[in-house]
Amino acid sequence: MAELTHAQEMKERLTPSLTTGHPTYHDVTEAVSIIAEVKTHRNWYIALAISTSITGILGLMLAYLVATGVGVWGNNSPVGWGWDITNFVFWIGIGHAGTLISAILFLFRQKWRTSINRFAEAMTLFAVACAGIYPAVHVGRPWRAYWLFPIPNEFLNMWQNFRSPLLWDVFAVSTYATVSALFWYVGLIPDLATFRDRAKTKGKQIAYGIASLGWRGSATHWKNYEKSYMILAGLSTPLVLSVHTIVSFDFAVSILPGWHTTIFPPYFVAGAIFSGFAMVVTLMVIARWIYKVEHLVTMTHLENMNKVILATGTIVGYAYATEFFTAWYSGNPYESYVFFVSRATGPYAWAYWSMISCNVISPQFFWFKKLRTSLPFMFVISIVVNIGMWFERFVIIATSLHRDYLPASWGYFRPSFVDILTFFGTFGLFITLFVFFTRFLPIIAISEVKGMMAQTHHEEHFLDEAVAASEGKQPVGVAH
Amino acid sequence: MGQIFPKKIDLIIRGALLVAGLGAAATAGGMLFLHHPKRIEPGYQPTQPIPYSHKLHAGNLGLDCLYCHTTVDKSSYAAIPSTQTCMNCHSKVKGQSVVLEPVRKSFELDQPIPWVKIHRLPDYVYFNHSAHVNSGVSCVSCHGRVDQMVEVKQVQPLTMAWCLDCHRNAAPNLRPAELVTKLDWKPESDPAEIGKQIMATKKINPPTNCSGCHR
Amino acid sequence: MIQIQGIGNQTGKKFWRSLDELSNSPKFQNWVAQEFPEGAADVMDGKSRRKFLQVMAASMGLAGLTACRRPVEKILPYAKSVEGVVMGNSLHFATAMPFNGGAQGLVVESFDGRPIKIEGNTNHPESRGAAGTLAQASVLNLYDPDRSKEVLADGKPSTWDSFSKVAATLPADGEGVRVLSTLVNSPTLAGLRGQLASKMPKAKWVEYEAFTDDTLIEGSQIAFGDALRPQFDFKKANVVVALDFDFLELENRSLGWVKDFSARRKPAPVAAPASHHGAAADAHHAAPAAEAHHGAPAATEHAAAPPAAGEATPGMNRLYAIESNFTLTGVMADNRLRLKPSDVQNFVFDLARALGAITGLQILGQQDRWIKALAKDLQANRGKSIVLAGSRQPAVVHAVVALINQTLGNAGETVTYTKDVRRPVAALKELAGELNSGGVKALVILGGNPVYDAPVDLAFGDAVKKAPLSIHLGPEVNETGVIAKWHLPESHYLEAWGDVASNDGSISIVQPLIEPLFATKSAIEIVGFLLAGKWPKGFELVKAQSKLDEAGWRKALHDGLLAGTAGASVKGAADKTKVEAAVNNAPKTGGRIEVQFFPSHNLWDGRFANNAWLQEAPDPMSKLVWDNAAVMSPKTAKELQVEIIPDDVGMYAQKIIVEIGGQKVEAPVYVLPGHADNTVTLMCGYGRKEIGRVGRGIGYNAFAVRPSTGLGFASANITKAPGTYYMVSTQEHHSQEGRPIVQEAPLAKYEKEPHFAKEEEEHVELFSLFQEHDYSKGNQWGMAIDLNACTGCNSCLIACQSENNIPVVGKEQVGKGREMHWIRLDRYFTGDEEDPQAVYQPMACQQCENAPCESVCPVAATVHSPEGLNDMAYNRCVGTRYCANNCPYKVRRFNYLNFHKDMDELTKMVQNPDVTVRMRGVMEKCNYCVQRIQEAKIKAKAEGRASGAAGPYKVGEFMTACQQTCAADAIVFGNINDPESKVSQLKKDHRNYALLHELNVKPRTTYLAKLRNPNPELA
Repeated sequence: MAELTHAQEMKERLTPSLTTGHPTYHDVTEAVSIIAEVKTHRNWYIALAISTSITGILGLMLAYLVATGVGVWGNNSPVGWGWDITNFVFWIGIGHAGTLISAILFLFRQKWRTSINRFAEAMTLFAVACAGIYPAVHVGRPWRAYWLFPIPNEFLNMWQNFRSPLLWDVFAVSTYATVSALFWYVGLIPDLATFRDRAKTKGKQIAYGIASLGWRGSATHWKNYEKSYMILAGLSTPLVLSVHTIVSFDFAVSILPGWHTTIFPPYFVAGAIFSGFAMVVTLMVIARWIYKVEHLVTMTHLENMNKVILATGTIVGYAYATEFFTAWYSGNPYESYVFFVSRATGPYAWAYWSMISCNVISPQFFWFKKLRTSLPFMFVISIVVNIGMWFERFVIIATSLHRDYLPASWGYFRPSFVDILTFFGTFGLFITLFVFFTRFLPIIAISEVKGMMAQTHHEEHFLDEAVAASEGKQPVGVAH
Repeated sequence: MGQIFPKKIDLIIRGALLVAGLGAAATAGGMLFLHHPKRIEPGYQPTQPIPYSHKLHAGNLGLDCLYCHTTVDKSSYAAIPSTQTCMNCHSKVKGQSVVLEPVRKSFELDQPIPWVKIHRLPDYVYFNHSAHVNSGVSCVSCHGRVDQMVEVKQVQPLTMAWCLDCHRNAAPNLRPAELVTKLDWKPESDPAEIGKQIMATKKINPPTNCSGCHR
Repeated sequence: MIQIQGIGNQTGKKFWRSLDELSNSPKFQNWVAQEFPEGAADVMDGKSRRKFLQVMAASMGLAGLTACRRPVEKILPYAKSVEGVVMGNSLHFATAMPFNGGAQGLVVESFDGRPIKIEGNTNHPESRGAAGTLAQASVLNLYDPDRSKEVLADGKPSTWDSFSKVAATLPADGEGVRVLSTLVNSPTLAGLRGQLASKMPKAKWVEYEAFTDDTLIEGSQIAFGDALRPQFDFKKANVVVALDFDFLELENRSLGWVKDFSARRKPAPVAAPASHHGAAADAHHAAPAAEAHHGAPAATEHAAAPPAAGEATPGMNRLYAIESNFTLTGVMADNRLRLKPSDVQNFVFDLARALGAITGLQILGQQDRWIKALAKDLQANRGKSIVLAGSRQPAVVHAVVALINQTLGNAGETVTYTKDVRRPVAALKELAGELNSGGVKALVILGGNPVYDAPVDLAFGDAVKKAPLSIHLGPEVNETGVIAKWHLPESHYLEAWGDVASNDGSISIVQPLIEPLFATKSAIEIVGFLLAGKWPKGFELVKAQSKLDEAGWRKALHDGLLAGTAGASVKGAADKTKVEAAVNNAPKTGGRIEVQFFPSHNLWDGRFANNAWLQEAPDPMSKLVWDNAAVMSPKTAKELQVEIIPDDVGMYAQKIIVEIGGQKVEAPVYVLPGHADNTVTLMCGYGRKEIGRVGRGIGYNAFAVRPSTGLGFASANITKAPGTYYMVSTQEHHSQEGRPIVQEAPLAKYEKEPHFAKEEEEHVELFSLFQEHDYSKGNQWGMAIDLNACTGCNSCLIACQSENNIPVVGKEQVGKGREMHWIRLDRYFTGDEEDPQAVYQPMACQQCENAPCESVCPVAATVHSPEGLNDMAYNRCVGTRYCANNCPYKVRRFNYLNFHKDMDELTKMVQNPDVTVRMRGVMEKCNYCVQRIQEAKIKAKAEGRASGAAGPYKVGEFMTACQQTCAADAIVFGNINDPESKVSQLKKDHRNYALLHELNVKPRTTYLAKLRNPNPELA
C-alpha cells in the first residue's frame, strides 16, 4: 500500500509525479540495470523451463497439424475458420497497446508513458510473433503459404488477387511487425549502451557493444536518435489504426451476416487497444513487483492505463449495442437472426454473454478510483477483459459462420484437443520471449525516464537541476 | 575501462554491411537468372531403351509424324506407336539388326517397350493434342525440330507462363492444319497475318481461364 | 495417357493376372488388412497420433521432391495394337444390371479398359436414360478390395478344379439336390434351369429374395385367376392413388414410372396476367409441359416443338399417398394420409365400396371424409387414374385394387397387365423343412444371402448346416458363404456375360466391359457346368439362348436391348365375386404397435453394404449416413418415452428393443415427423456380420425380427433399451426459418398469380462495386432445377461422386461436418410437426456471376471463366477457406484431411482420369462438369463444326452427370444464350426464381418453384 500513500501525497502537486521517492538519475540506472546484472536467479531458470516446455507443446502441435492437415482442428463446413483466426485476431489485438503507447502517446507528449513503453513494445512484438503463426499454418497447404506474397515468378505468369482482404492482411501485419521491431530497437540503443558501459564481463561488453551500435551519447547521436525516434513514431501511428482496421476488413468485406458491417474498423481498433492495455496491466503488476521497480512504474501509470481500459471498454460496449440496432433497423432478416437469435439465444449464447459481461460490465468498475487503484482488483479485471476479448473474436467468427443463409447447411464448431493445446502453446512462446527479455534487456526505458524526470522538475522550477540536466544531456521531449 | 572495439570498427562494419548487401543482391539475381524455367526445363534428354533416331526416320526418310503418332489429331494423348507399327517395316527392313532385337522380342512376347517420357506435364494439366493439332499448331511449336534430333530432347520450358504466352497471342503459331507436321515449313507472308485469318475462319479463341487446362 | 504407374499400362490380360498374383501375396493381404477403402481409415481411427511423425517425414520429402530433378517416367505402348482403341479416348458400351427380378439398362463408360462411370440407357424401358443410385454405385463393387477372390473349401483357399471334382459327385438323377437362386429373370439361366430339371428330374429349384412383388401376383391370382403383373402409364393419369406404395423410389420397378409421372407434374402453361414482369410474352413459349407431353427424352438439350394447335397440354396430375412411413412418394404427394400398415386394408375396402367396386357396408372410420373426396375425384377421372398398392400389403388388397382399376375403366387405359413367370419365394419355407428333415444331400446357392435375409423363424443358417454338401456362389464371402462348405467367387455383372429380362419382359444382353479381375465365375457358368460336367463359356451360353444371327446379336449389344421382347399385354377380367369372397375372409391383421420392413435406400437388402459411396449417401428423409434406425413419429416416440438428444456433431438416439414373436433386435430410434403413429419402420440391409471393412459393424440387422408370416409388416412389442447410440446426419436443421428458400404454392394460386415466386424478388436496383463482365455473347452455361419434379432420390449425388472422383470421408468426419458431396439435397419440413409436408432442393455451386468466393481468394485460385463458370484451380489453392466462409450457399467442400490417402490400388481404378484427384488442403466444388464441356468443345472444334448461337454443339451432345441421370428431368443444364435451348426457355418460365437473389450474386443456377395440387375438399 506504499504506493497509495505516495499517490495521495502526489495529489497536491501540479503534475502527478511519475516516479516516487525522488530517485536520482543514478538510482534509475541502478534500479533497471541491476535486473539484468545480478546473478541469474534460480526462479528464472524455473520460469524458463516451464515456458519453454509449453512452447514445445506448440511446436509439437504445429508439426502434427502440418503433417496431417487442418482436419486435426475442429474446423468444418460451414465453420471454415475456428480457433485459428480467433487466436490470430486475439494476439494481434494484444499487440496494439505497445505501439499505441510508444508512438501516439509519444506524439501527444504523454509523459507517463515513459516507464511502461519499453515493456509494452516488447509485448507488442511478442504478441505479433504469436499472432503471425496462425495465418501461416491455418492454410490447407502451409508449404504453399508463400504464395500469399506477391513474389514475381516466371513459371505461372500470374499474380495474387489484390481484391482479397486476406492479401491486405499480409501486407498490414508484416509492415506492422517490421516497424514495431525497429521502433523498439531504436529506443533500446541508449540503454543498451548503458548496459555495455556497466558490463563486467568481456562477453557482455561485446554483445551489448555490438547491439548498441557504438552509441557514445554524443549530442549528434542524441540528435539523430531523436529524429529517427520521431520518424518511427510518425510511421507507426497510422499503423496502430491500419492494422486492426484491415484485420477487421477480413470480416467486414464479406457478405456473411454478422461479418458484413461497416462499424468493424473502429470497433476492432477500440477492442484491440482495450485488450492491449489490459495485457500490459496484467504484466506490469507482476513485473514491477518481481523486479522491485514500483517507484518507477507508479500507481499513476497503472491508473492511467485503467482509465484507457474503461474508455475503450465502453466504446466496445457501444459497438455491440450498435450492431443490434443496425440489425433491427436494417430490417434484414438474416442480419437480425444472427444477433437476436444466433448470438443472444442460440447455441453460442453462453459465449456471447460471457463476452458481454467480461468486456462491457467488468471495466465499468474502474469508474471508482478506489477500485482502479487497487492492484489485486485491476489485476483480476485485466485478465477478465482479455478473456472477454478472446470471446469477442470467437463470437464474431464462430456464431456468424455456424448459421448463415440456408438452414440446411447450418452446423456447429467444437475445438479439438489440437486447437486447445496450440493456443495454450502460444502463451508458452509469449512468456518465453518475455523471460529472455527481462533477463537481458532494460525492461524500462532508462534514458526516457531520466528525461521525463528532468522535464518534470524543470517545469516545477528546479532550474538548477534542469540546467544540469540539459548540460548533461538533452532530455526527451523538452519544448525547444 | 578501455575500448572494446577499435576506432575503425565503424568503417569495417559499414564495409561489411555493404559487401553483404551486394552479395545478397548478386545471389538473388543469379538464382533468378539460373532458375528461370527457360534454363531449367529444356534440355532433358534421357537415353531410350532403343537408339531410335527421329532424324533418320522423320528427317532423312521423311516419315510423317502421323504415321507413328496416330492419335494426335483424334485424342488428347499423342500415342507412342505400338511395336506392331515398327514391325510393319522392320519385319522386312533390317530384319536381323542387333539394335532392333528388343523390338522383335517385344513383338514376340507381346511385351511393351519401356520408352522414357520426355515431355511431361503435371497431372492436373489437361493438355489436349487434338485441340491444338486441328487448330493448326505445329508439332514444332512445342517439340522443336524433332526431325533433326538423333535423340529427342525437350526444347521448350512447358511452363504455364509459356503456355499462356501463346494462348494470349496465338496467331503467329498457327498454320493451315494440313501443314502441322511439316516441321521445316516457312510461311511466305507474315505468320501473324496467316494466323489471324485461320483464327477467324476456325473461330479459334484459346482459353486463358483456369478450366481451360485445369479440371 | 499411359504412364508407368504400377502396372496400369500393360495389355489388359497381363494386368489382371499380375494384379491377381499381387492380391495373393501376404504383403498385399496385410496391407489390405490395415488400409480402409476410400480413405475412410482416418475416419475410423480418427487422428492416429502414432503415425504423424512418419507422415510428416513423408510430406517433407514430398515438398523436397519438387525442388530436385523430375523423376523418370516410362511410357508403355501396346505391343500389338487393339482394334477400336484410341489412346486417351473413352468408349461406351451398353449393358444391363440384373436387380431384384428386374433390370436396369445401362451405358457404361470405359477408359483404358476400365469401366469408370455408369449411366442409364435411353433405349431401355426401365432406364429411359436414367440410372438409380444402386446401379451407378455398383461400379464401385467391381473394384471392392474385399470382394471374394478365390474358391473356399470349409473356409480354406481351394481351386476351381478341386471344386469341379466335388461337383461331379452330385447324384445324376438329382436325388436330394436343391438349387436356391435369386429371382431368375435371365432367359439363359431359365433355359438352363429347364435343362437341369430334365437331366436331374428329382432335383428342385427354389428362388428367394428378401423383397419381391409376390403379394401383387397372388392378388392377381385371386382377381384374374392368373399371374399378371400390372404395368402403369403415368403419362395418361390425372389422378394417382398410391396405397402404402413408394413407387417413386423404394418400390420403383421402372425409372420410366418416375419419368412419366414427373412429366405430368408440370403445370399447363398459364397466360401471364398483365404484369410488370417482362416474362409475360415468353410465357407461351416456355411450355415446359409441352415436350413432356410428347415424351421427348431428357437427353435433348433443346425443347421439343411446342404442342400442335388445338392440342391441349394435359396439365398437372394429382397424387394421393396413403402410407405409414414418410416415403419420397409421400413427399411428392398433394394429399397424404398417415395410416398404420394394417389400416390400409380397410381403407382400400372402404374405397372399393364407395366406388361400388364391391358391395357391403363401409366401415365408416375417421377416413370417411378422405374416402368420399377420393372416390369423387376418381369417378371424375374414369380411365384417367391409377390406383396402386405396395407389396407390403396382403394379396387381397391387390385383388381389390385390380377390381377398382377395372371399375374405374383404368384397366387397358392407364393400367395394363403382362404375364408374370416368376416363382413365389414362399417355397423357401419348404426348402428349410427339407433341410431340417435331412432330405437334402446337396444345396447349391446361386447368389443372394439367404442366411442373412431369410425370414428369421426359418433359422435358415442352421438348416443349411444340416446339408452334407452346401455350395455358395457369391460376390463376397457373406453370412451364407461362411456357413456353406464351399464358397465360389461370383463375377460382377460388368465382367461376365449374361442376359436379363426387365419387369415388362424386354430382354437385354449383359455385356461385360472387362475380363474377370479375379478367378470368378457367373451363375450360368456354374449351372452349365452341373449340366455338361465341363466349364462352358458364358458368352456361348448367352449367344445360344438369344438365337440371334451375327447382325442381330451386334445390334442387340449396341442397343442394349432385344427389340420387341417386351411382354404383350393380356386382357384380364377381374372376378368380382372371387374378390368379394377374399375380402370377407380377409383376416384382420395388426396390433397396437406395428413394425414394417423396408429395404434401405442405400444398401437395399444388404447386398450393397460394402459400398462406401452408398454408405455415405444420406438417407433421403432422415439424412442419416453410415447407419439405419427404427423410424417413428414424434407422438409415438413421446408415448414410448424415447427421444433423440441432438449433439452439436451428431445425435444420441435412445435405443429400443423390437420384439416380434419372441425374436428381438436392438435399434436406435429416429423420430421422423410425418410418420404414422404407433408404427415403427425398420430399414433392412444393415447390421451385416460377415462383410468387408466398409460395412462391418454398421447399423443393426432388421431381418433378425422379420417373420415369414409378416414379410411386409407385423405387430410388435417395443421396449426401451438402456443407453443411447451415436448417429450422424448431413443436415441438422429442418426448418426454413420463414426464409424464401423453397418457393411453394398450390396450383390454384399459381394459376391466379403465376409470378408468385418472382414476387419475392422485388427489391431496389442492386449494383456491383466491381465492373461487371458482359455475359451476353457466346456460350453461357446455366442450369434450371424444377423443384416440382425432384423426388430427392440421391441419383444426382451418386452420379456426381462417380464422375468427379469425390472421396468418401466416413462417419466421424461427416459428424464433424466434412462430407465432400458437391451436390446435396436440402430437405425442409413445412406445416405442423406431426403431419408435415417435405420439400427437396438440390444444392450445388450456383456459379454466381458476381461470385463472393472469387473476390476474397488471396491467390486467385477461383476465378470466373468467360462462359460464366466459377472455375476452381485446385493446384493454385492454398486452402485459406475464405471462399467457403463467404459462400452464401455453403456449397464449397474442403479437403480437411488427405481423404484419398488410403484408397486401395484396386479402388483407384474407378477414378475418372478427366478429373483431378484433389489432395488435402485444397477447396473443391461443383463446376458444371467442366471436363464434359471441354471434351464436347474440343470434339466440335476437331470436327470443324460451324459455330452457331448455341455454340458448335449438337443438340443434347453433353450433359452434366446429375442432369444425365435424373429420372425426373428435374435438372436441366445448357447454354442460356441459345434461345432454342431448354434451359433458356425454362429460365423464362413464370416459376423460375433465383435463390438469395437479394445478395446480387446473380446465380447461374435457378429454381422452378414447387407446386402442389391438393384436393380442395381435403383442405
